[in-house]
Amino acid sequence: MSELKFVGKSFKRKDGPDKVTGRALYSEDVKLPGILIGRVLRSPHPHARIVSIDTSRAKALPGVKAVITVEDTKGIKHGFVETPRYPADQEVLARGKVVHVGEELAAVAAVDSFTAQQALELINVEYEILPGVFDPEKAMDPEAPKIHPSHPKIADKEPFSNIGGKTECGWGDVEKGFAESDYVREDRYESQLRTHGYLEPHVTLAHWESDKLNIWTSSMGTFVKRAKLAKTLDLPYSSVRIHKTYVGGTFGGKIDLYSHEYCAARLSILTGRPVRIVASREEIFSAYRHSQPLIVEVKTGVKNDGTIVAQQLRVINNAGAYRGSGVVVVFLAWGFTMAPYRCPNLKYEGYSVYTNYTVRAPQRGHGCPKVRFAIESQLDMIAEALGIDPITIRLRNARQPSEDLPNGDNVHNGNLPECIRVAAEKSDLLKKYGEARKSPQTGHIRRGIGIGVSAYFGGSLIYPNSSGVMVKMNDDGSAIVLTGAIDVGQGAETVICQIVAEELAIGMEDVKIISSDTDTTPQDIGAWVSGMTYITGNAARQAAGNARAKLIQVASEQMNAPVEDLWVEDKAVFNRQNPQQRMTYDQVFAASVATHRGDTIIGEGFWRTMRDVPTHPSLATTKGRWTENYAFSAQVAEVEVDIETGEAKLVKALTVHDCGFPVNPALVKGQVDGQVSMAMGHAFMEEVITRNGYTLNPNWLDYRMPTIHNMAASEDADVITEEYRVGEPYRTKEVGEGLVSGILAAMANAVYDATGVRLYTTPFSPERILSGLKKLEPSKTTGVRDQQSPEVL
Amino acid sequence: MSYLETISIEDTANVAKIEPKGRSRFITLSINGERHEITVKPRKMLIEVIRDTVGLTGTKGSCSSGTCGACTVLLSGRPVLSCITLAVECDGKEIRTVEDLAENGKLSALQEAFLDQGAVQCGFCTPGMLMSATALLERHSKPSLAQIKKGLEGNLCRCTGYNAIVDAVLQVSGQGVTPVMK
Repeated sequence: MSELKFVGKSFKRKDGPDKVTGRALYSEDVKLPGILIGRVLRSPHPHARIVSIDTSRAKALPGVKAVITVEDTKGIKHGFVETPRYPADQEVLARGKVVHVGEELAAVAAVDSFTAQQALELINVEYEILPGVFDPEKAMDPEAPKIHPSHPKIADKEPFSNIGGKTECGWGDVEKGFAESDYVREDRYESQLRTHGYLEPHVTLAHWESDKLNIWTSSMGTFVKRAKLAKTLDLPYSSVRIHKTYVGGTFGGKIDLYSHEYCAARLSILTGRPVRIVASREEIFSAYRHSQPLIVEVKTGVKNDGTIVAQQLRVINNAGAYRGSGVVVVFLAWGFTMAPYRCPNLKYEGYSVYTNYTVRAPQRGHGCPKVRFAIESQLDMIAEALGIDPITIRLRNARQPSEDLPNGDNVHNGNLPECIRVAAEKSDLLKKYGEARKSPQTGHIRRGIGIGVSAYFGGSLIYPNSSGVMVKMNDDGSAIVLTGAIDVGQGAETVICQIVAEELAIGMEDVKIISSDTDTTPQDIGAWVSGMTYITGNAARQAAGNARAKLIQVASEQMNAPVEDLWVEDKAVFNRQNPQQRMTYDQVFAASVATHRGDTIIGEGFWRTMRDVPTHPSLATTKGRWTENYAFSAQVAEVEVDIETGEAKLVKALTVHDCGFPVNPALVKGQVDGQVSMAMGHAFMEEVITRNGYTLNPNWLDYRMPTIHNMAASEDADVITEEYRVGEPYRTKEVGEGLVSGILAAMANAVYDATGVRLYTTPFSPERILSGLKKLEPSKTTGVRDQQSPEVL
Repeated sequence: MSYLETISIEDTANVAKIEPKGRSRFITLSINGERHEITVKPRKMLIEVIRDTVGLTGTKGSCSSGTCGACTVLLSGRPVLSCITLAVECDGKEIRTVEDLAENGKLSALQEAFLDQGAVQCGFCTPGMLMSATALLERHSKPSLAQIKKGLEGNLCRCTGYNAIVDAVLQVSGQGVTPVMK
């Protein structure tokens, strides 16, 4: 086969020119005549019974066109998970009681935002305050205030309160494993609440047209949005159309159905006018879905050579006031535990616990950073105790290519050992590691290095489970791709065009894309299970291949040459036996219309992961296949810690990853850089600070996200384990969210390397680092320190 | 030159009914070289006039509190945060937005550099980032790394980690950085 011209090359973004000129239309940029402004009334209490809601004064206000409460809905519930075990659990507006600050109670549509706001203030809600509970371990106490009943399957067996769900699994015999281990240690790690930090706020515009609900909403999966809106509004799917808009960042925070989306739709149906609702940044910080803080207790037993013998994990997820994706996180935490390293004996249990916090969403990595932070930190401590270096202990345990996993999956060509070796070599880790703690240091800056390893799944089965793509040939030989893929910044549109250009042997400029419109494009998995390049990409490959086969068939008849001898190049079909014999695509197209009963040549393709596996794994037991795409990575962080101020910063990051192969290396690098930056925020800066369910820092002045001053040098290297061949299925692996994890763990290990301070809780704030330094030198009093360093006075 | 005189729905709906205070004012703005005569409430922010009244939606609103830089435009050549700048303060002044950077449909060298370096992902910070970078490059034709950081410190980007954005500014100012995308 000829050399690849498009796949594997760093083509510029298809959507780039629109984005740098301001032409790209985001949801808030869509304007319709007669638009009304909607606003949502939110609970001021973390836990309260709703005694009454009186909307009469709001309705009477001039300029107010509609006011809704839960009484104006069909009462159909929705949930991130909707399975027999975990049925939909959330109403679109609160009924009976509110369970978190900011919970949606009512919504208004008015002629302008001031009138809408005034109307909200005229809605009278009478509450009976209930006691709240915010700490997940306190919430599990049988005596704790009950937010919702514990899941019936758990309540039967365990006395805990407020259990939304539990994942439990294991293999081997951990007790025997610990008994056989030479060294066992047990640690507990905790993480903070973080916001996604998408720049574009949540925005929804709804426009009801006689029998069609048109929606423009900031989302990461238009088909999921359609399904949930249609369900809660009790409309057929064909009556709900989610239009394409550009999306200003998601990072996991825009996949669930949000109340404001339902409210905009319902208010538009009631008023017959377009209704737009925009969430303010303060609303997003205070009332929208954030990450899921985990408590990870991990006990590991190893042989003297560092071989892991047994591991026991107990994960507690502070999952907020509804089920959200909390039960998914405690399932995934198992997967993030077992994927990188062999472990013959494992016992895992994860609890998703209701607390009076806002509902939780997926967030880039969906629990993985917290799990890898715990395991990789502990592994370094084990290595040090055994006198092994951080690379050797990881290589000792890393899964090899073609290894079967305990759930029946296989890592195929995935090559974690190679990632670790390349990372060690490129970073010179073994030479640098330990230096800061060995020799006496001068000055107040300490530099350290650390490594972290991770694995991430891609494209797993979850609604809509599959992507379809259509490739429509034009009369002039160019092509239009119709795909439900949504480009949230990752570059999906560009990658899909590259694949179509490669398969059809036409230029990038010959491929135009129509995307993420539920009425005109086929179903698509969406930008949220890390599988678009694999699943939608393979569907695009198949669709383009299907169009190519039709072109070749028609040309074969016209050229009187066998199909097997024909192939395509430069927008033409040619005869390999006689390369002068060729027909350009526009000629083939005309011939097809003339001789094939008007066939305009439309190719179709579809793909799903694990095509012979009917269902997804059990969230409760983990039984069942999960994915056929495991991405592996090893990441190295170099940090500097100021031991006087406790401030730490990431100086240099190295990401060595096996994503199969990069379809567009520069886009992959963009994902790496973004994840390194986001993980740095996780490590050193970011925390949504709350008290009793109230957000105390609902803005970017008090919630510090990385700015350009925090930029770190970021380098990446691919470990190529798969390849692309025209006309054949390929395997790529995820690269968009798994790389926030190893680097977080690497930063924790690098802080230790720099200072000797081992931190068990993120973020590694100056306070935590200083307090750790203080503990290391218990004999040194403040007075002595002051004498030694008069400049700090 | 286009001449536009607008009273928005928002303003007419409220006349004398709800807010007797805060009478509308008549202001003149030059936006991207076009003159706009506009009646606005004193409370109106510049971003609302640019996006809603004039209809240039390239400028993005994100935080409404001047903390993210997405809404950055140039006011008399200086970058300002249009979400916390009152429209009435801009009466008689010149404003440039992202729509003004390309000339006759041809991207500017800065816009091209952003695409060459992969400095655009979701694109939501991009208009503000481009305006801050434009102002920076007008002050310093070959900015140092420290000057680039200073010039772009008010613009948050969650996608790129800033590396590609710095490279784009280095590329356009001819400081040895070559395109990574084709």
